[in-house]
Amino acid sequence: MISVIEAGLETSIQDWPGRVGFYNKGFPPSGPLDSWSFRLANILVGNEEGFAALECQFMGPTLKFDRDIVVAITGADMQAKINGQACPLWESFTVYAGQSIEMSYAISGARSYIAFCGGIAAEPTLGSRSTFAAAGVGGLTGNALKIGDVLPVEPGHGEAGRRIPLAARPHIEQQLTWEVEAVAGPNDDWIDQQGHDRFLSSDWRVSAKSNRMGMRLEGPDWTFTNKAYDKLPENGSEPANIIDHGYPIGAVNLAGQTPIILLNDGPSMGGFINPYTVPQCALWKLGQARPGETFRFKSISVEEAQLRARQINTLCKDCQVNIVT
Amino acid sequence: MIYDVPKVSPGGDRYLLVEFGNEMNLDLNFKAQGLANALTGEYRINGVIETAPCFATTLVHYDPDLVSYSDLKVELLRLFESLGSSDDIEVDSRLFYFPTLYLDPWTTDCINDYRDKINPGKEQDPEFVARINGLSDVRQLVRVHSGTEYWAASLGFWPGLAFMMPLDPRCRLTAPKYNPPRTWTPQGAVSMGGMSTAIYPVPSPGGYQLFGRTPVPIWDPQKKFPEFEGDLCIFRPGDRIKYVPCSKEEYLEVERQVTEGSFKFNIVDYQRFSVGNYKRWVASLDLTSRF
Repeated sequence: MISVIEAGLETSIQDWPGRVGFYNKGFPPSGPLDSWSFRLANILVGNEEGFAALECQFMGPTLKFDRDIVVAITGADMQAKINGQACPLWESFTVYAGQSIEMSYAISGARSYIAFCGGIAAEPTLGSRSTFAAAGVGGLTGNALKIGDVLPVEPGHGEAGRRIPLAARPHIEQQLTWEVEAVAGPNDDWIDQQGHDRFLSSDWRVSAKSNRMGMRLEGPDWTFTNKAYDKLPENGSEPANIIDHGYPIGAVNLAGQTPIILLNDGPSMGGFINPYTVPQCALWKLGQARPGETFRFKSISVEEAQLRARQINTLCKDCQVNIVT
Repeated sequence: MIYDVPKVSPGGDRYLLVEFGNEMNLDLNFKAQGLANALTGEYRINGVIETAPCFATTLVHYDPDLVSYSDLKVELLRLFESLGSSDDIEVDSRLFYFPTLYLDPWTTDCINDYRDKINPGKEQDPEFVARINGLSDVRQLVRVHSGTEYWAASLGFWPGLAFMMPLDPRCRLTAPKYNPPRTWTPQGAVSMGGMSTAIYPVPSPGGYQLFGRTPVPIWDPQKKFPEFEGDLCIFRPGDRIKYVPCSKEEYLEVERQVTEGSFKFNIVDYQRFSVGNYKRWVASLDLTSRF
């Protein structure tokens, strides 16, 4: 068992790929925003890559252990320490009974993942342990961790000292500008040529008003094709309004003039257009970017995006098979 | 318009959106639900993970390792064509009766709070909806709104939130959303925005015009009611809902039963909804009459 001494900032239990299969009832999948780092944390401690683990955001928790457990931390560096000694990142290690992991604020990236050998044994809701706090679903109590929570951990077989090679990790550094892949569509024909050029050539600033539902971007105004104006009234009054439709995860959702990239806890449908969608291979960047940093979008094809997701899957699979000890 | 051939567009590397047209028309939703049902039923295409039908579209979530975008697009269009005209669509459709206190004190308080704190010029929602729809007064609004079965066209935005369309065209109403939105709305509020009716599953901010409240829960995280069949929300696309006007005493009695856990949902679940039969019925109506 693991006790929560300090909760950190909205630290939550997530699993991967999350609560899939209920989108037609309005349930978003939830799950880790940076699923690449998340999967690697599980692989390090000998778990299946989707087991329930912790997602820490900007400020990590303090956790006290009542038995020896093999643990791994990946993703953002939140300066984890045991008795004042730094814990390794991207490497499994043993925390002994009575010890505590103390985490602080992220010095690079935004989200850390802590996996425990055996995985967290929360009760699944609709097939997933992922926390969807907006609806009070998943995790231990439907919410982020609180001081005094106790995390039950399943037994498992893991080894300390396993390490993810540099080439298999996402490159999370404090960077001013991220290149983020985007696939045109589904509503790219609502935006005129200048609008597309502007989207792909401008710096988009990550707003502090971002969370697990969506990442709000600040940048220039959008311009539209005739489709946005010459439409029936049921589409809504603003150019970016359309008859309510389903939203892909990663959609660049144009709320009036403000693009909001819809993330794992986002709304499943609504009445704004989605001119672009950020594909799976780039979603980890959204999980690790910090407010004030900027995005430059790079348009890629559906097939290229699928290829890049496959490359990440292959890196994870290879780590599972021949991890460095 | 209704497109001759649905428009298929990519949503990143694992979604695609099928658009059947660009207007608010129940027929488009029948196509959207028909395709979604076919995909989860006997015609299941390899690689399709799930679907989300909406008013005029179906979003498809797929696994690109099992099917490519271009192959899936071809297969979806072929499947859609094989389904024939929407008249041939027939789906299981449960009918729910929801006791509803129209013009209730709780949504009235909510509207007044909005007028006090955010927009003093906001007309009372029931009067406003009656006026812009050419109805004589709020009593006629209640008759018109409760005079039809509603079709759960789509669920989403929030888990279990159903967007419902009136099946009787004589009961069609429209209402713009609040601008700016409300900061709170009571759970169970019966409301309208655009052309759809919705029940607020939980207390939440919102923008729909309010004119009633139902004590019957549509969201059950504690799993108190067997009618949810292990799910957290009661509705699925293709359900029908009838609002039954009730008195405040009846409302409070149902609320008491809900709190105590003894409430039994009134659900009729032996019927199939035939789009062809429905369209024949609509064609027989005198659309100029209201209730």
